[in-house]
Amino acid sequence: MIGELQDPRATFGKAVAAIAEADDRIVVLSADSGGSSGLGGFARSHPERYFEFGIQEHGVTGVASGLATCGYVPVFCAIAPFVTCRNFEAFRNDVGYMHQNVKIVGRNGGFTYSDLGATHHSLEDFALIGMIPGVVVLAPQDPAEIRGAVRAMLEHDGPVYMRIGNGPIPQIFPSDSFTIGKAKQLRSGHDLTVVSTGYVTPRALAAVDQLADELSIDLVGLGTVVPLDEEAILTSAVRTGRVLTVEEHYAHGGLGSAVTELLASVPGVVVDRLAVPFDYVPSGRYEELTALFGLDVDGITARIRRLAAM
Amino acid sequence: MTDEVLELRLSAARARRLLLRMLEARPAGHAGGALSAMDIVVAIYRKALRLGPGGLTDPDRDRFLLSAGHKALAQYAALAEAGLMAKAVLDTYGQTGTALGGHPDMHKLPGVEANTGALGHGLPIACGMALGARLSGNGSWVYVVTGDGELAEGSNWEGAAIAAHHHLDHLVVFVDANGLQISGPTKDVMDLGSIGAKFTAFGWAVREIDGNDMRSVAQVLDEVPFTVGRPSVVVAHTVKGKGISAIEGTVASHYWKPSPAELRAAIDECEQEIGLLESLVAAR
Repeated sequence: MIGELQDPRATFGKAVAAIAEADDRIVVLSADSGGSSGLGGFARSHPERYFEFGIQEHGVTGVASGLATCGYVPVFCAIAPFVTCRNFEAFRNDVGYMHQNVKIVGRNGGFTYSDLGATHHSLEDFALIGMIPGVVVLAPQDPAEIRGAVRAMLEHDGPVYMRIGNGPIPQIFPSDSFTIGKAKQLRSGHDLTVVSTGYVTPRALAAVDQLADELSIDLVGLGTVVPLDEEAILTSAVRTGRVLTVEEHYAHGGLGSAVTELLASVPGVVVDRLAVPFDYVPSGRYEELTALFGLDVDGITARIRRLAAM
Repeated sequence: MTDEVLELRLSAARARRLLLRMLEARPAGHAGGALSAMDIVVAIYRKALRLGPGGLTDPDRDRFLLSAGHKALAQYAALAEAGLMAKAVLDTYGQTGTALGGHPDMHKLPGVEANTGALGHGLPIACGMALGARLSGNGSWVYVVTGDGELAEGSNWEGAAIAAHHHLDHLVVFVDANGLQISGPTKDVMDLGSIGAKFTAFGWAVREIDGNDMRSVAQVLDEVPFTVGRPSVVVAHTVKGKGISAIEGTVASHYWKPSPAELRAAIDECEQEIGLLESLVAAR
């Protein structure tokens, strides 16, 4: 239901378990992380396909690759930095270079594990995993997209990384439809373009709607970071001439970089990038940190106004 | 010596000659570790591996992973010697775009099960394969060759824990313990103490053998799993550069760039060994 707050991890885990009812190739791997990834239900309904390995992410990533060579579809979910930074070489070689049909999900992405500090934040995962050729990078924007993205990643024959957050997020899409690499046009306008990704998009949407009386804004929501929907972004950017990217990631290496590179050779387009400052985010309350970085609704609203005035 | 051991010794000698054939195409490569592991790799291909009707792509095949991917010359030579790869492919070694790269590539060469080369990756991948085989119920086996220097990579011990915890008794690891790595003796570079004791502590069933003695290699392959419910590891003490006396037991053999004269001498030595073994076979 539109506006309803739903837990991303529970939504993710239920979606995996539901699809696994009809697909016995799906196996779940846990690095002491399955229950807190919303996969406790899967463990109970499919114990023979749920494997616990304890706290080790490099090893589990290799195991996932080996299982995939046998025709299984491993799903491995843990705290985002542990399945992107810690195991990076295994992700690159065993999953990426070996082209294995492995699904790795980073939960509590961005700085949504706010008060656990920078060791538990993931502000470079789009950059890291986006640099591995052949790996799809997903960042579903609401609970409906999480459900759709889970189905899409399990149907996709190849390696996928998906980032989800921590706290409940509101549903903004009416259906679970999700196509890898396709943006969704949330609002249409001609003054400027906002390109947003992941669980920040509901805030970007609220900001755009707050400004509806003063600005006509194109809001392009990306549930897929890699491959980028270049056509959707180019079409909008050429029309408006001003683009603001919004993401809970460092600007360079993330959506901000990707959009800037895409538009570098397009004359007359100004790009502004709203992202996390390139530093270690302190421990703190999530809402206060988003406000500090201007990634709350008020901050996004202010940044849109600034760009519109340029 | 049994007929089987004699035949395997002859195979290994021929495989060493095939390794040199690659170096005739391009005289540079990780020969030392390939030669120390050669008897083990040949024995796995010739004696242990059951491929099934689909051969190297049969979904229920036994698998061989070369975790120490830089020893690829051993795998290429053994594949050719076992008739699983055309010998003419060996002559492409060193060419741009060859299927026989400096480290193995599963997408270019059937028989390569994983893109190893970065050390410490093979064992966790093999655990996944062994787990997958058990889940499928196909009874297939997974054989791995690692190096002793490689075992300093912590990810091996993640794999060691996984295999024991999940009782992967169709997993067999040979540690090619040649005692030398690029910077010198392994005990000086990073002394792991007793490799066998470490695996025992992790819950593996352990054997220690002379890994260049084909009788011992064949025997342990007959005896796996050493303990039902436990993964098996063979700490195989070997000689780096084995079979080419000019480089045996030397760090310099790690990445060998033979001169034409050195290569000729090595080929002569190998062919003498093959001739000797052939005459023994003929005398049976």
